[in-house]
Amino acid sequence: MRYLVSVIDDKDSPGSTDRQPAISAFNERLIAEGYWVFAGGLADTDAATVIDNRGEQAVFTDGPFAESKEYLAGVWVWEAPDLDVALKLATEASKVCDRKIEVRPFQ
Amino acid sequence: MVATLTRRFGDLDIAEEAAAEAFATAVERWPADGLPPNPGAWLTTTANRKAIDRIRRENKRDDKHKEAQMVYDDPPEPLGAIDDDRLRLIFTCCHPALAMEARLALTLRMVGGLTMPEIARAFLVAETTMGQRITRAKAKIKAARIPYRVPSAEDLPSRVSGVLAVLFLVFNEGYLASGPDTDPLRHDLTAEAIRLTRLIRALLPNDGEVAGLLALMLLIEARRPARVSATGELVALDEQDRGAWDTGLIAEGHRLVRERLAAAGAGVAPGRYQILAAINAVHTSARDMRDTDWSQVLALYNQLIRVDLSPIVALNRAIAVAELDGPEVALAAVNRLEDKLAGYHAYHATRADLLRRLGESQQSRAAYDKAIELAGNTAETAYLTRRRDQLQ
Repeated sequence: MRYLVSVIDDKDSPGSTDRQPAISAFNERLIAEGYWVFAGGLADTDAATVIDNRGEQAVFTDGPFAESKEYLAGVWVWEAPDLDVALKLATEASKVCDRKIEVRPFQ
Repeated sequence: MVATLTRRFGDLDIAEEAAAEAFATAVERWPADGLPPNPGAWLTTTANRKAIDRIRRENKRDDKHKEAQMVYDDPPEPLGAIDDDRLRLIFTCCHPALAMEARLALTLRMVGGLTMPEIARAFLVAETTMGQRITRAKAKIKAARIPYRVPSAEDLPSRVSGVLAVLFLVFNEGYLASGPDTDPLRHDLTAEAIRLTRLIRALLPNDGEVAGLLALMLLIEARRPARVSATGELVALDEQDRGAWDTGLIAEGHRLVRERLAAAGAGVAPGRYQILAAINAVHTSARDMRDTDWSQVLALYNQLIRVDLSPIVALNRAIAVAELDGPEVALAAVNRLEDKLAGYHAYHATRADLLRRLGESQQSRAAYDKAIELAGNTAETAYLTRRRDQLQ
């Protein structure tokens, strides 16, 4: 079962910036234990672009699709047998990243 | 053996019949199978099983009560396959990934076997709302793959406290919502909550909060026969016919509380259910309100307030303060809770009573009016109305 695991940061109270070594170590464990499918840190929301081509003409907008103080800082994709396993890993991930984590199943 | 069985099952008929059946089975089997290594224990175990079987077969509500009164062996009998399944179900329904209201609805539906209309009525929501709640919860369990199993030993303690919260809410729905004894739903809710708590206790016999919650439920349930008058009015603690209290449940509750006090003496800090149970034990030890050891009640509330910051605890503590330091001191403490409890009927009912004792009839009447307006159940409303109308 695959889960999208999102790292959520907060513009008003951002998480600490010195987490990378711990995150790398965590990733190595995820790979070794077979949960890791993908991982990626995201650039700032300012670097995002939204395209709306549902109508006659494509409209490009500078910035993220939702302006909010909470935003996506990074994503993982994990393969886990059930939610309990995913939540246990996510509990650790939240501590390691010093940020909130969302665990959401793929269909 | 019959005496042991009687104590355990609280019923001489069941004890005698079970003992006789056990002996009959022994006479039948031992010549062929040989004498068991411990014949006494064999007989006791067999008799226990026969008594339990009979209670389950008969399935009457007061027998369910006896089932709820069953005391497990020490060491406890191994859980049967049916119990394992129910435990898996409880832990799944009470999973932390589900919202509390979803956990409640699911537990009552899947474990308690209540119908959708019954659950909707229990929580005062529309049936469609309750239906959606349950559907969404089941969908989440499936989509997110919440596993159907008893948590690992490592995860068990935190998962259990989630289950206890749900069971206590179920119990409260059955207890506080009860009107005159025509609606079997309520009895079944409290009996169901007690039964499920016993199951958890069999799984975690050393968990203090499980024991505490069970004791708390038993000591509250013991007072049920005295709690509602023949006319359907709530009877407060100071007016209850204590002779109507169930002595068996009280005895078991007290035993559990003593067990937990011993553990606390050995340095294990008691959690909120254990402290609440101890408070109820003090109340159920007294002949009447005046005979109650209020300083012990207050001491326990002082402990409770450190682990449970809810303003309702502060409110109930103030009631104990009133008994020791008088209504004026208590009223000052209660008034400080205005911001947090203005929407809670018991806050206004408490104020009304304290104001009445201080001779402030007009203010008392106003407080009673507010309490009546906010009260959710007819037995309680009837009681509050009578108290208000008794004012000069």
